[in-house]
Amino acid sequence: MRIQDLAVIFIIIILPISLVLSSYTQNQVKTLSLQISYDNKLNNATYDALKAFKLNTLNSSTSNMANSKLKDIEASINTFFNSIASNFNMAGYNKDVLKHYVPALVYTMYDGYYIYSPYKNTLTDSEKAKSETLPDGEKLYGLKPYIYYSCRYKGTSNSKNYDVVITYALDNYITVQGIIDGTAVYKYGYLLDNIGGDYTNNGNSGKDITYRGIEIKEETLQEYIDKDNKLTYVKINGTKYYTEDNGNTWYYYLNGDKMQQVGAKYKTINEEGKQYYKEAYDFTKWIRDNLGDLNAKNAVDEKGNSLLDEQGNLKFGTYNIFDFGGKDSQEGSIEDADSNFNQHRLAVIRYSIEKNLSVAIANYNRYTTTISANFQMPKLEEDEWTKIINNVSIISFLQGLNIGGKVYNGYSIITNTENEEVVRDDAIYLVEADDLNDTGNYYRPTDTSLDNSKNYLGVLNLDFERRSRLKDDGSEMYFFPKKQLGSYTSIVNNFVSEETQDFYKYIDGKGENIAKAYYTALGRERYGMYRVNNLQVNEINKND
Amino acid sequence: MGDTLMIIVVIGLSAVLMFIFPLMTMSDRTDDVSQLTVNTATTEFVDNVITTGKLTLDKYSKFVENISSTGNTYDVEMELKVLDENPGKKTTQSVDTRIGENVYYSKYTSQILDELSDDTPIILLKEGDVFIASAKNKNPTMSQQFKNFFYSVTGNDTYTIAAEHAGIVSVTGSNYD
Repeated sequence: MRIQDLAVIFIIIILPISLVLSSYTQNQVKTLSLQISYDNKLNNATYDALKAFKLNTLNSSTSNMANSKLKDIEASINTFFNSIASNFNMAGYNKDVLKHYVPALVYTMYDGYYIYSPYKNTLTDSEKAKSETLPDGEKLYGLKPYIYYSCRYKGTSNSKNYDVVITYALDNYITVQGIIDGTAVYKYGYLLDNIGGDYTNNGNSGKDITYRGIEIKEETLQEYIDKDNKLTYVKINGTKYYTEDNGNTWYYYLNGDKMQQVGAKYKTINEEGKQYYKEAYDFTKWIRDNLGDLNAKNAVDEKGNSLLDEQGNLKFGTYNIFDFGGKDSQEGSIEDADSNFNQHRLAVIRYSIEKNLSVAIANYNRYTTTISANFQMPKLEEDEWTKIINNVSIISFLQGLNIGGKVYNGYSIITNTENEEVVRDDAIYLVEADDLNDTGNYYRPTDTSLDNSKNYLGVLNLDFERRSRLKDDGSEMYFFPKKQLGSYTSIVNNFVSEETQDFYKYIDGKGENIAKAYYTALGRERYGMYRVNNLQVNEINKND
Repeated sequence: MGDTLMIIVVIGLSAVLMFIFPLMTMSDRTDDVSQLTVNTATTEFVDNVITTGKLTLDKYSKFVENISSTGNTYDVEMELKVLDENPGKKTTQSVDTRIGENVYYSKYTSQILDELSDDTPIILLKEGDVFIASAKNKNPTMSQQFKNFFYSVTGNDTYTIAAEHAGIVSVTGSNYD
């Protein structure tokens, strides 16, 4: 055989192989590019949904109430589907078609979460309202009831038998409901160590209440209600009450309308910061006395059986949940990120979401008839869980779309650190206390240009956001409750060192004035948050 | 004499067909795969930065390591468009019916890397900032070298592997979660 023949045979063999290989690689490239582009679209739609939720809640004074919040979440879901539909329109999918590929949307909130997924209308003809036209068994899309980050415990602590449900939240706030030693209990509050001062009957220091050794004092708070008018205010249960006449009359805004507060007066000197630490001290003491020995091994399910993982081991292990530290010790406190309490809190939140979400997604297979894909909950990475359990977030899933060669199975997690749901540790910014005309800057507490010899005032980050309200003539006006401009060293730009990760310790190291402004504001803002069960604050803040 | 010349030509041709051609095809495919790797890595890097609001030295090093695993060297460029809301805020404060305009200013690779020093290994971004990253191959890949040798269409400076991704930061970064 001549060498030319060999060459021809070689080409005959190698050419098809090369062509096939080339087309296979190209296909893989296309599939992966498509997957990346779908991931992107899903991310964008989820972000749009979160932005809609944030804007709606920020500009609504009733957004804390459950039914108003539901309305805001439904609007946000609508935004999600509109956004994803316009993103996917080029690919030939519209809103109604895409709905079938979204097995679940999750909205994680302060002390629980909503899951949006299909369910069956179980009302029979005789049960439902006459105006209702939905047939029995019809598939409906909607929000399922709010699920709390809660866990039930049964056992003996401080020689008392208990059977309680503890609801956790994104911060140190817990609610205890159940029976301790035969008595029904319903207690709630913040768990904090390091509280001292005369209030705690710990000597006579002349300081009423201290946190981490720093005295917490009263403040006077003022903010703008439009472009020019700055008024004294107090925030109670999520609503800000303003006074123009030194505390004689108070009013508030109900979605833009000015409403007079009848029959109630508040103090113009704000004591909420102090009150937060006092109540936290009392509640922490109660927990110490009643549930101090509560162990993670006593976590049980709704039937009273121990919670176990797949291998049959205890779900949360064996350790004391409430590992209190000493007073003013600042070491090994319950509010530390690595305390048993915080680790357990995060584990409970994660377990609750994981369990209910995987059920919702697996159940989706029963509701879908048009798509043959097998819907499953994807395995989320550890850092993604960290994002979810520390923030208000939206988790969206998009599954079953054909992307050539494989089926798309994507999810997106978008979190938010600026919202009315929770006052995070880093949600407090500082302004100079002497800056009465609001002409200066606002800073993060980690800003290196802060000077401890000056006096500062802590402000919630949301108060620097633009607000809108209708004027009397119907035109819309915009204003900022706090006029200070963002600092270029920590707000507009922000590069930080690793030591800021231990936030409380870092703040302590910044100096007393800075720490005082920060801790007072943190307490005040957390105390002023809306909660279903803290109506008694009205009484406390009343002027005699 | 004629036969000898013929044999030399044929051997040359056969060498091209049997070795160079498959090598070229394979190096082309390698470039395709590298392109895919770089594309995926760039997208993942940018998406991670914009959904966490955090740009760290670790993330950057990991990204560079990922793309270098393709065997080429890359020019990595980053741009951070920092949103400055202060000018808009000033406008609203003087005329309350106007929202005002936000301003972006850009920081580029060398500035970003300067900020990402050992003292401050974390840049926290805020909602609304824009982050862009791109990677282009610096060295000529094997496929480029072959092409240059045969048809001299590509210059030494041109790149065949390039990826770019950008996005708006969706969350204000926090350093403790």
